[in-house]
Amino acid sequence: MSRKVALYGLLCLLCVPFVFPTWWMVTSSMKPISEIFSESLLPSEWTFSTYSQVFRMQPFGQQYWNSLYIAVIVTAGTMAVAAMAGYAFARIRFPGQNALFVVVLTGLLIPSEVTIVPLFRFFQSLGLTNTHWPLIIVPVLGAPCVLAIFIMRQFFLALPPELEEAARMDGLGRAGIFCRVALPLARPALGAVAIFTFLHSWNLYLEPIVYLSTPDMYTLPQALTQFVDIYGGPMWNVQLAAATMTAVPVLVVFVLAQRQFIEGLAHTGVKG
Amino acid sequence: MTFWTYRRRDNLVGYLFVAPALLGSLAFVLIPLGMVGWYSLNEWNVLGGTFEFIGTENYERLLADEKLRESLVATAWFATGLMVLNLSLALLLAVLLNQKLRGTTLFRTLFFSPVLVSLVAWTLVWQLMLQPEGSVNGLLGLFGADGPNWLRGETTAMVSVVVVQVVKNAGLNMVLFLAALQGVPASLYEAAKIDGAGPWTRFLRITIPLISPTILLTSIITIVGSLQVFAQIAVLTQGGPGTSTTVLIYYLYQQAFQFHHFGYGATISVLLFVIVAALTLLQWRMRRRWVLHES
Amino acid sequence: MSRLTALIVAALLALTACSGSTAQSGPKTLRMTVWTANEAHLGLLNEIAAEYRAAHPDVTEIKFDSIPADGYTTTLTTQIAGGNAPDLAWILEESAPDFVSSGALAPIKAEIEQAGELVPSATKLWEKDGELFAYPFSTSPFGLFVNTDLVGQLPSTWEQAVAASAGKNLVLPDFKYQNWAVLSAIWRGWGANAWSEDGRSCGFASREMKDAMAFIHRAIFTAKAIPGPGTTVDFFAGNAAMAVSQISRAGALKDAKFGWTLLPLPKGPKGDYAVIGQAGVGVLKRSKNAEAAADFLGFLTNAANSAKLAQFFPPARSSLLNAETLAKSNPLIKPEALQSVVIDGIGKGVVKPSHQGQEELNQTIRAALDPMWKPDADVDSVLDGVCAKIKPLLERS
Repeated sequence: MSRKVALYGLLCLLCVPFVFPTWWMVTSSMKPISEIFSESLLPSEWTFSTYSQVFRMQPFGQQYWNSLYIAVIVTAGTMAVAAMAGYAFARIRFPGQNALFVVVLTGLLIPSEVTIVPLFRFFQSLGLTNTHWPLIIVPVLGAPCVLAIFIMRQFFLALPPELEEAARMDGLGRAGIFCRVALPLARPALGAVAIFTFLHSWNLYLEPIVYLSTPDMYTLPQALTQFVDIYGGPMWNVQLAAATMTAVPVLVVFVLAQRQFIEGLAHTGVKG
Repeated sequence: MTFWTYRRRDNLVGYLFVAPALLGSLAFVLIPLGMVGWYSLNEWNVLGGTFEFIGTENYERLLADEKLRESLVATAWFATGLMVLNLSLALLLAVLLNQKLRGTTLFRTLFFSPVLVSLVAWTLVWQLMLQPEGSVNGLLGLFGADGPNWLRGETTAMVSVVVVQVVKNAGLNMVLFLAALQGVPASLYEAAKIDGAGPWTRFLRITIPLISPTILLTSIITIVGSLQVFAQIAVLTQGGPGTSTTVLIYYLYQQAFQFHHFGYGATISVLLFVIVAALTLLQWRMRRRWVLHES
Repeated sequence: MSRLTALIVAALLALTACSGSTAQSGPKTLRMTVWTANEAHLGLLNEIAAEYRAAHPDVTEIKFDSIPADGYTTTLTTQIAGGNAPDLAWILEESAPDFVSSGALAPIKAEIEQAGELVPSATKLWEKDGELFAYPFSTSPFGLFVNTDLVGQLPSTWEQAVAASAGKNLVLPDFKYQNWAVLSAIWRGWGANAWSEDGRSCGFASREMKDAMAFIHRAIFTAKAIPGPGTTVDFFAGNAAMAVSQISRAGALKDAKFGWTLLPLPKGPKGDYAVIGQAGVGVLKRSKNAEAAADFLGFLTNAANSAKLAQFFPPARSSLLNAETLAKSNPLIKPEALQSVVIDGIGKGVVKPSHQGQEELNQTIRAALDPMWKPDADVDSVLDGVCAKIKPLLERS
């Protein structure tokens, strides 16, 4: 019993640095601007006008949609590309396999600041700046996808070969084995990839700023920086209201999905 | 005969499966990287529009650059601190939350929530909390300790930047560790118990080896990620005080984008790439020694 | 698998849909980067642009791109490096020498209506060899905002200002112990300079600078007037006695719940002085429509439009620099303050220190000054150290 109490105490203590900033973000978005920098836990008077201001100042609904559909496409595309590549690197033997894997792996090692200028020139020459193309193609096929490939490869490596052999006996080809046997088993790993990829796309900051130039095209992280007063100084409470709205739905989805996600991940594949 | 064609068809499928990723890497990673390499051999004045081949001059400058050396030291501290703290905290949380306990769902969500908060809001609130009269020192005061001016001391600034980053992202690794922990068969623990192994031995001898693939994964993600942490430093310390938190990526950003030395910035990019590649290769080489399923 | 395929097909469809929004280029379109995303600012700019297009049918679109002020120059430079230079751009004063001297900007003097009436102190930064390379779009003097609920006796010297705000906060909102150039609003009163007129020799080790910095150090650590490093105090929320800030900040006081007034910067040992912050608008030489862009800039900054813009961006035209005109667009500030702070300030002001390679200097000086912001710092030796660090940078240009 006392062990349980100690455990709860420890967890609560550890929780503070994780929870306080979020708490502050949510409550401060309802504080009058003059109280933003005070560290009071609750606003002295609750104002919700910041939330309507968010929509008045920016095409926030459109920007929400932009972020959402980009993230969904990127997630779906990455899952497809990564599952195929990860499977091939883990389970199929073909000449040059290791060399090609190293080639792909370089993408993992490159911060986006490094290649942004040549990439920008590339998309500029195709006339694709101020479109969402670069924000979709590069993550799906380029560097950000590599982490996903890596996760998938690690997963497929741990898959018992007997399952595939049985399927092969039944006369299934490679593509058949991949679709009917490997992919269904990979659901938890795909779940991990989905969460990583979605969050990465959802939080992308540098690229949208460089590529996009009209408010209708903006994504959320970029839109957050656009709530400024006459002087150009940030309107913190409005910004925080927008930030709250970008974080809370994702949080809710995580709450709903986390048990299945974690247990799914455990029960099948990445078992040690 | 059938075996042979199966083999050949297998090769084809293999190439087809990796083709999208491979072409993507070529177009969006390797070619841009090659261009960065080419820029590094030139003096590129972006504003004036001049682009002049200068051979290895930028690399000679790299060797003589004292600020670069300071920045490498800062980077090493930052990456090491971040990796050790992030992985141990994430593992601790995962172990604590893997117990049969009411409310674990709530706690998992709470620990994961910072991952979802916008970076702007996150760094701002920490900046406030780390003020001399902020809540961090307020809390320390309760225990009678006199907290420092966190972001203004060279060592404390580094510690602060690391902690802010760890708290933001530890939840992600925690989730991965949790999943791995739940995959460890309970029967193994039972058997070990019967053999008289204590909890600590069980953790070291059973848990750690069995979750080693996840440890490899998280450590690669974390170390690569740590070398790309930039916005937090820009907001919290701008690389200061002095140059104590000017990590390599921030120095690269300063040279290329702030000081307009694109050619030299490209040269630092090449160095950064070499470092990350070397580190990852090292981890990759060592994996056979300690990671399951890799030998 | 079929579900995956469906997702990919959906993805491709959506992609085609979004590519439809690529800007199609008509006869002439203009793009101008600005650091403001404020709707009132953009509203006025768009209004002026619409008026211009009505008279110039060949210009089909004038677009204002808002880039976050934080990292504005970085993004602008990336666009230029990437081959997507805007036609017009706001340029912050700290990058003025780089832009003007690099040859990135097109000369514009011929396009500016009555360029002769621009105040010399405001155009100095944007000139080279007698030609004007950007229009001084916003010329905003520093003033001393005073919270009259917290301060009874209005100060006229720095000593008084520090004494009156001891323990009650005298804030420099943009300083944050990083943007050291803001301190020039104080040290100019001691006659100190960051560097010599020609930009080649360092001024940090001068007697004037050492005295001024010693004063600032005392104001922080002895008098406890200026909030110490790492502490955020917001004047505009009513938490400070005084603030040294640009007058364009007055807008933030629209709904202030405390009494306030605006004063010229207090006197230092060297007497009266003024410091201004600036932003200019230039035409990028590499723009395909540079001529049309320059023509539009002429329209945007003509006397009539300058008068409209004056409510947000203090003008540099002497015909507009009278209390009467300014009062119309700045109802928050009393006419006598407009006269003493804005009009006199722009007339006699010097801009914040700027130099070729400013950002590198900024960072180097910021790092070298850091040891100063401790209670027991040796001010003189820190300042000598600053000069040692920046000497090679100053001599390079």
